Amino acid sequence: MSPWRALGNRLRALLQKARLDADMDEEMRTHIEMRAQRNLDAGMDPEEARYAARRQFGPIESIQDACRGERGVGWIEDFLHDVRHGARRLGKDRGFTAVSVLTLALGIGAVVAIFAAADDLLFRPLPYRAPDRLFRLWERDPTRPETARSEVSADDFMAWKAGGSSFEGMAAYYEGRAVLHDGERADELHVQGVTPGFFPMLGIGAFHGRTFAPDDGPAPGTSAPVIISFRLWRSWFGGDPDAVGRAVRLDSATATIIGVTPPGFRFGDRDVDLWLPLHLRPSKSRDLNAVGRLKRGVGRAEAEAQLSLMVQPWMATVEPLRDSFTRSVKGSLLVLLGAVGLLLGAACANAASLLLARNRARRSEMAMRLALGASRGRLVRQLLTESLLLAMCAGALGVALGRYALYALVALAPRALTRSADVAIDGRVVLFAVAVSAATALLFGAVPAAVSARADVAPELARNSRGGGPRAGSLRAWLIAGEVAVSLILLTGGSLLFRSLVKLQEVDSGLMPRHLLAFHFRVPSPDKVNLFDLSRERIAVLPGVRAASATSFLPFDGPPAAARVEIEGRPAPAPGEEPVAAVRTVMPRYFGTIGIPIRQGRDFTAADNGADAPMRFVVNEAFVRKYLPGQEPLGRRIRTSMARTNPLGEIIGVVGDVKEGSMRQEPVPTVYYVYAHMSYGQMTLVVRTEGDPMAILALVRRVVHDLDPGLPVADARAMDAILGETYARERFSALLMAGFSILSLLVAAVGVYGVLACSVQERTREIGVRVAVGADGRRIVELVLGDTLRLVLPGLLAGLGGALSLSRLLSSLLFKTGAWDPASFAIAAGTLLVVALVAAASPAGRAARLDPTAALRLE
Amino acid sequence: MAKDDLLPGTLDMLILKVLDRGAMHGFGIAERIRERSENVLSVGEGSLYPALYRLERQRWITAEWGQSENNRRARYYALTRAGRKQLAVETDGWERMSLAIRQVMRST
Repeated sequence: MSPWRALGNRLRALLQKARLDADMDEEMRTHIEMRAQRNLDAGMDPEEARYAARRQFGPIESIQDACRGERGVGWIEDFLHDVRHGARRLGKDRGFTAVSVLTLALGIGAVVAIFAAADDLLFRPLPYRAPDRLFRLWERDPTRPETARSEVSADDFMAWKAGGSSFEGMAAYYEGRAVLHDGERADELHVQGVTPGFFPMLGIGAFHGRTFAPDDGPAPGTSAPVIISFRLWRSWFGGDPDAVGRAVRLDSATATIIGVTPPGFRFGDRDVDLWLPLHLRPSKSRDLNAVGRLKRGVGRAEAEAQLSLMVQPWMATVEPLRDSFTRSVKGSLLVLLGAVGLLLGAACANAASLLLARNRARRSEMAMRLALGASRGRLVRQLLTESLLLAMCAGALGVALGRYALYALVALAPRALTRSADVAIDGRVVLFAVAVSAATALLFGAVPAAVSARADVAPELARNSRGGGPRAGSLRAWLIAGEVAVSLILLTGGSLLFRSLVKLQEVDSGLMPRHLLAFHFRVPSPDKVNLFDLSRERIAVLPGVRAASATSFLPFDGPPAAARVEIEGRPAPAPGEEPVAAVRTVMPRYFGTIGIPIRQGRDFTAADNGADAPMRFVVNEAFVRKYLPGQEPLGRRIRTSMARTNPLGEIIGVVGDVKEGSMRQEPVPTVYYVYAHMSYGQMTLVVRTEGDPMAILALVRRVVHDLDPGLPVADARAMDAILGETYARERFSALLMAGFSILSLLVAAVGVYGVLACSVQERTREIGVRVAVGADGRRIVELVLGDTLRLVLPGLLAGLGGALSLSRLLSSLLFKTGAWDPASFAIAAGTLLVVALVAAASPAGRAARLDPTAALRLE
Repeated sequence: MAKDDLLPGTLDMLILKVLDRGAMHGFGIAERIRERSENVLSVGEGSLYPALYRLERQRWITAEWGQSENNRRARYYALTRAGRKQLAVETDGWERMSLAIRQVMRST
C-alpha cells in the first residue's frame, strides 16, 4: 500500500471513528448473540448459554483494541481517547487536579522565567557570523594577578593586528558617551568608537546606508561619519530613510549619519546607540578593548602564545566572546538555574506522590480493565496521557506565571544582566516550556503509571479499594524525602545569600547616600567649563537644596582615574613600587555635600578653585595609612603623574575613606584635586536635598537648560540607587533564591500533608482499634507526628549533604558569610521542620478526633 | 490469536478459503473454520475479527451490512478480485510447502 493511501485510510478511520466503533461493537454483539442462540438450541439454560458465548468469544476489550490497530488508527485514536478520558477524570477530581497543576505550574513558571533571563546570555548563539571564533583579547602582567584582564594599548593592538597570523581579523573599540545634537534636541548617548574592521569582522551589515570604510576618518575640517542604532533611528528620526546623510553635531564636532545598524544589533552594552570611527594613534596606555576572529582551525592556546610573544614581558589572554559578556552574572544565573531545576524536581516528586495516592484509589478500575483484556502497556499509556494533560495545563499556567515573574525579575536584575541581555518570553522560550512540561510529565508520571499497571488482577477484584499497598506507600515516602531534601537545599542557599546580603547592606559606604541626587552633563568644548561652576552655584540656592558640588568620578559608579604619586622628601622608589592613588577632581564643598567626614584640616574653598591659586590636595585616610604612616600629613607636599606638568602641592585636608567600586572592596588611597587644577569636560553633580532627591530633578534640569539648551542632564539617579546597584547581583540572587525556597517549602508542605492525610485515612481502622483499647488523643497525635518525623528526617539528612555542596558553589556570591555558616543551616532545617509539623497538624487532629465506633464500622 | 497452533498467515488463508464459497458473516466464518479444524479458534472466536479487519484493510475482502438467515442485521464479508488472487497465491504457496514437508517426512 502506498504511504499516501495508508495515510488516507488512517485519516478516514480517524474521522469515521465513532461510526466504525459502533459497527464493530454491533458486529461482535451479534456474533455473541448468535453463539448464545446456538448454545440455547443445544439445550443450555439461557444464563449459561450467554455466559458460554462470551467465554467462547474471548476477551472483548483486547480484541477490539487489536481490531482498531488493524483498522489503522492505532495510537492516534488511542491517544485522543485517552485525552478525552483523562480530561473527564481530571475534571471530576478537581482538588487533585488543582493542587498538582498549581505546584507544577509554580515549578515550570520559575524554570521558564529563569531560563528566559539566562537564555540570551548563556545559551543562544551570539548574533554574529560564526560567533564561536570571536574572542576578546586582553593583556596581563604575569607577575601581577590583578591585571588578569587589562585593556590593550594602541601600540600592542597594532602589533597584534600586523603580526597576529592566527587571526582572520581584529578590531579595537572603546566605550563612552557623547552628546548628539540635531539643532533641536540634544541627548547624551552611549557610544562605541570602533576601528573600521569592526562591523565586517562581526558579519554585520548596515540596515540602511553603510558601515565604516577604512578611510572614514576625522580628517581635519571634515565631518566625522557616525552610525546610529535602529532604535535611535526610530525614536529620534522617526525611521526616516533620509536620516542617512543628515548632518548632526556630536559634542562640539560636526558629524554625518552614514548608516543604521540592523534591529537589535548590540555588542555587549545594549544601551549603545551610536558608533564612531576609531583611528588609532600610537600610545602605550592600556585603554582599548580588543576583539578578534580566529582563523578556522586555530586553537585558542596557540593564538594566546602567539600574541603573548609580541607584548613581552606582558602576556595575552584570549577569552571566548560570550564569556567576556557574561562573566559577572554567569555564576548567579547558573546557580539560579540549578535552583529552579531543583524546585521543578520537587514539584514533580509532589505530583508523582499525589498521582500514586490517586491511582491507588483507582486500583479496582485498573484491575477490571486488565481483566477485560486491556494490555498493561495500554494502561500505562493511558495514565501517562493523563500526566501529560496535567503537565501541559501546568505548562500553560507556568508560562503565564513566568511572564509576570519575568517582569519582577527584570526589575530586580542587576544592570550587568539587563544591559547585555534581551530578556523576554519568545517562541523559543515557549518551546522550551513545552519541552519542560513534557519531560515533567514523564518524570512524575512514569513511576506511578508503572506501579498502577502492575496491579494484580485477582486480589484487587476480590477486595475493594481499601487497604494498604506497601509498595506505593514507601515510594511516596521516598518522594517526600526527596522534596524535603530539595527544600532544605534551597532554604539553606536562600538564607546564606540573605545573611550575606544583610551583611553587605550593613557595610558603611563612607558617604551619606540618603537625600542625595547625582547626575552628570558634559560641556561641548573646553572653554565652557565655567558652566559647571555656574550650574553648581545656581542649583545650590534652589528651594529644597542644602548643598551642591561636583566630582569627576562619582564613587560606586565606575572606576576613577589613577596615577603615581610622589611625596616630597622621599627618595625615588624602585620602578614598579611607586605609590599609586586613585585621583578624583572635586568642586568646593564636595565633602560636605556628599557626606564624607573631614578628619583633619579643611575642605576646598572657592578661593582654592582658581587657576592661579596655589596647588593644594586633599587625601583620604587610606592614603595617610599607606604612604604617610605615623606622620603629620597636613603641610606635606605631593605631586601626581596625572598631567603633563605636575607642580608639588600641599596637603590641606584628610577626609574619611569611601569604599572603592563596591561594598565588597576596600577603600584605596585617594588624592583629590580641586576642579580648577584638573578640569574635565564631564562632571557628576551631587545635590544634597531636604527630601526625595528625585523630586528636585525638574528644577535642576531647568537650571541646566537655561544655562545652555545643548546640555542634556544625563543619568540622574538617587545615590541610594547607585549604591544599591553595586549589590544588585547579590540582592537578585538572594531574593530569587528566597522566593524559590519559599515555593519549595510550599510544595514540601503539600507533599507532607498529602501523605499524612492519606495514611491517616488508610489507618482509620488501626487508629480506631487503638482508641478503643484506650489510647487517648495525645497518644494518637504523637503517633502521627512520629510518622511525620520519620517522613521528614531522612530528607533533612540528605538535604544537609546537598546543601553543603551547594553552599560551596555559592561561596563566590557570599560576603563575609562562610559557606559552612551554621546559622543558615539551622534556620533552614528549623523552618522546614516547623512547616512539616504545621502540615501534619490537621491530619493529626483528625486522627485524634476519630470516633472509634464509626472507624470500626467502616469496611 | 491462535498463532501458537498455526503457521503464520494460516488463519488469513482459511478465511479467504471460506469466503471463496460466498459472502459470510463473522459468526458463519467462525463456524465454518470450526467445522474443519478443531483448534484454530480455540483461544476464542473473537480472534477472528482482527484478521478480518486486516484483510479488509488490505482490500482482499469487503464488508457490508446485510440480513442474516434468521433476520438479524449482520456484517457480511466477501472476497474481492485481489482477494481471490491472494487466495490463489497462498494456496499455491501452501501446497508447495506442504508437498515439500511431506517429501521430507517420507524420506526419513
